[in-house]
Amino acid sequence: MNTALHEAMLMIFSGNRLLGSIIGVTVRMSLASSLTALLLGVPLGVWLGSGRFAARKTLVVLNRTFMGTPPVVCGLLCYLLFSGVGPLRMLKLLYTVRGMVIAQILLITPIVAGMMESCVSSVAPAVRETAGGMGLSGGKTLLLIMNESRYQIISTYLMGLSRALAEVGAVSMVGGAIAYKTNVMTTAIMNYTNMGNFTTSLALGIILFFISLAVNIAVSLLQGRLAI
Amino acid sequence: MRQANKLIAILLAAIMVLALCACGAQTTAATTPAPTASASAVKLAILYEQDDSMKNTYSLLAVNPKAPFKDADGNAVSNVSINTAGAAALINWLLSKEGEDMAASYGKDKYGENLFSLLDGAPVSTAAIPAATDATRNIRMSTTTSVNDSGLLDYLLPKFEQEYGYTVDVYSAGTGKAIANAENGNADLIFVHSKKQEEAFVSDGYSYVLDGFKAERLSYLYNFFVLCGPSDDPAGVKNAASVKDAFKLISDGKYQFVSRGDGSGTHNKEVTLWPEALGITTDAASVANYADWYNYSNAGMGTCLMMANEKGAYILSDKATFLTFVANGGIIDS
Amino acid sequence: MRTDAFTKTYDGRRVLSMPEFEFDEKSVYAVIGANGSGKSTLARILSGTIQPDCGKYPASGGLSIGYMPQKSFAFGMTVKKNLLLNGVGAGSGQRADELLRKIQLEELAGKNAHGLSGGETQRMALCRLMMRDYQLLILDEPTASMDVEASLLAEALIREYQNKTGCIVILITHSLPQAARAADNLIFLHAGAPAEWGRLKAMMDAPRSDAFREYLDFCLKR
Repeated sequence: MNTALHEAMLMIFSGNRLLGSIIGVTVRMSLASSLTALLLGVPLGVWLGSGRFAARKTLVVLNRTFMGTPPVVCGLLCYLLFSGVGPLRMLKLLYTVRGMVIAQILLITPIVAGMMESCVSSVAPAVRETAGGMGLSGGKTLLLIMNESRYQIISTYLMGLSRALAEVGAVSMVGGAIAYKTNVMTTAIMNYTNMGNFTTSLALGIILFFISLAVNIAVSLLQGRLAI
Repeated sequence: MRQANKLIAILLAAIMVLALCACGAQTTAATTPAPTASASAVKLAILYEQDDSMKNTYSLLAVNPKAPFKDADGNAVSNVSINTAGAAALINWLLSKEGEDMAASYGKDKYGENLFSLLDGAPVSTAAIPAATDATRNIRMSTTTSVNDSGLLDYLLPKFEQEYGYTVDVYSAGTGKAIANAENGNADLIFVHSKKQEEAFVSDGYSYVLDGFKAERLSYLYNFFVLCGPSDDPAGVKNAASVKDAFKLISDGKYQFVSRGDGSGTHNKEVTLWPEALGITTDAASVANYADWYNYSNAGMGTCLMMANEKGAYILSDKATFLTFVANGGIIDS
Repeated sequence: MRTDAFTKTYDGRRVLSMPEFEFDEKSVYAVIGANGSGKSTLARILSGTIQPDCGKYPASGGLSIGYMPQKSFAFGMTVKKNLLLNGVGAGSGQRADELLRKIQLEELAGKNAHGLSGGETQRMALCRLMMRDYQLLILDEPTASMDVEASLLAEALIREYQNKTGCIVILITHSLPQAARAADNLIFLHAGAPAEWGRLKAMMDAPRSDAFREYLDFCLKR
């Protein structure tokens, strides 16, 4: 254990090109998927949380179900769609970073929407009552609802980013873990472990852990501010 | 207290940034980390090799653009795009004098012996190889984990890519999955080592004969599987007359054995070496009665070697992966 | 404002039944009664928050309505910004400062409203509502969390607002003394229906219905 840890730290600070490529692909993919999921999921969540239409409860249940999709199932679905014999093969998304991003967006957007929905639905009725009492417009009321949830948006994003970084089931199926192209930290850890190359695996694991730690500290600091 | 939290966050962010910057730095470091001297932690040794029934032949097959591709429901699919020009270029280069010489010499620097040998009568290509165009630049190769783990492709492909401007995406998985990948239209050529499965691939119409060659299956490299086991060799396989005798010694004595169990080329070869009376096939059900000594693992070569090392078990491996495994000090001493 | 008769039923239980009513301008109507007598329901129907059984808003005339619910929401911004949400026109800033001064909240003007106590929140909510001139002001127990001193300030503010705008004020309260101080007219709700109503002084001196008499006795411990 000690020798591997030592090797890992040496590798991190020596500028290994393969390692650099793996981390680069991971960061690119995770940022793209988490940001897009945020842009799609926040309006969806706000709409679900504050809307007053008959199908609302049903849609919330549906979204909660999608939140629990096993990543490997999503990966399998995307593989079948993008595969050389699949219906969307002309898009040429299999074994590309873009394909991995799409699979992750499908996984993370329901989570973002779900977290926003639960936050919004807890404040929306009270905000509506007070804002309506003052005679404020529907648009202004919606802005007030979103303002009350603004810290939630940030911590939701960080949660989505964490998910994107740690996910392995979907990205390995859709990306194929191709070296220098679609190999991200999680798939690389799996591959190197399978080869018996613990040194590189541990190094990647350590970096992944630190990134996750930084993300989670940021989230908790933010939530500390929220508890005023 | 809040300041302490902020400090921790800044510190961690700084470490992260440092790490990322360090990784961005372009050095001439090797693409894989240098092997460390923990070879003493590996307790396995090669006990039996060079028997003809342990010969492992590697073949290239170009994927036929007009193959009977089927989608997930079994309906026929047309317009499956296959980069035939790119695949032909890569195959021609691998089978050229330059490519074959490189392959045959791979491993001399690292391990002191070459890991692959050229077959007698292997096809040699003298065709001119076109430079890459936008349409043909990206070549998709489907291969097995054994090939990938041996490092052969990391050694060969950069030369090809630099000379002709192509990019080769290597998808590696167990043999069955690698072939299935090609049957799903996700590869332009395959590089595998399982004669039975290759012949099925051809007879199903998924491969075709390239210009200048005589057959779909272009076998050109071989190496041997090696029977590895604990260095003290309790079953005494070192002195067996043939590899089949060696396997009989193991099964008679019920010594621990780790099998790939994943339908790979290695797995397929392994099941042919047991005494027929045992009725061992690649099917898990066939080894249900031998679970006390036969470990049907369903994993890649590296993982299985780790397992064998832990258990002090016997295992059939390809030589290249075994040597790589030893060089990387496969096991961590805790 | 004239309101038609209406009823409100929840789960088969009749919680409110109002006859036709006439509300005068420039008048403060206090609505009192025991818990569960239907006071809040009346406020919510007249403010348009919920519908009566017939589904139609009971008053005509398109009055502008300002409604302060029992639990007013403090928005996540400074107290002054909360008030400015309801501001119209250039003089909003000044109007906000003045209101905060009158309710003695000016020191908290820059504080995030989430950090206010219950009483402070209500004071802020009242001022926030008064940033605009409404024709009908409905206040549901606006001083329930305030101490006596703040309550008196609030009542003065309400009276001042009414003098300036000439609006109708409907004040739901569970405090008879507050009704006596702040209102001109009284509506006494008993078990979902108005048992008695009229000019406050007259009602207090000479209660006509048994229900109201009992209520008076109980409140004033006569």
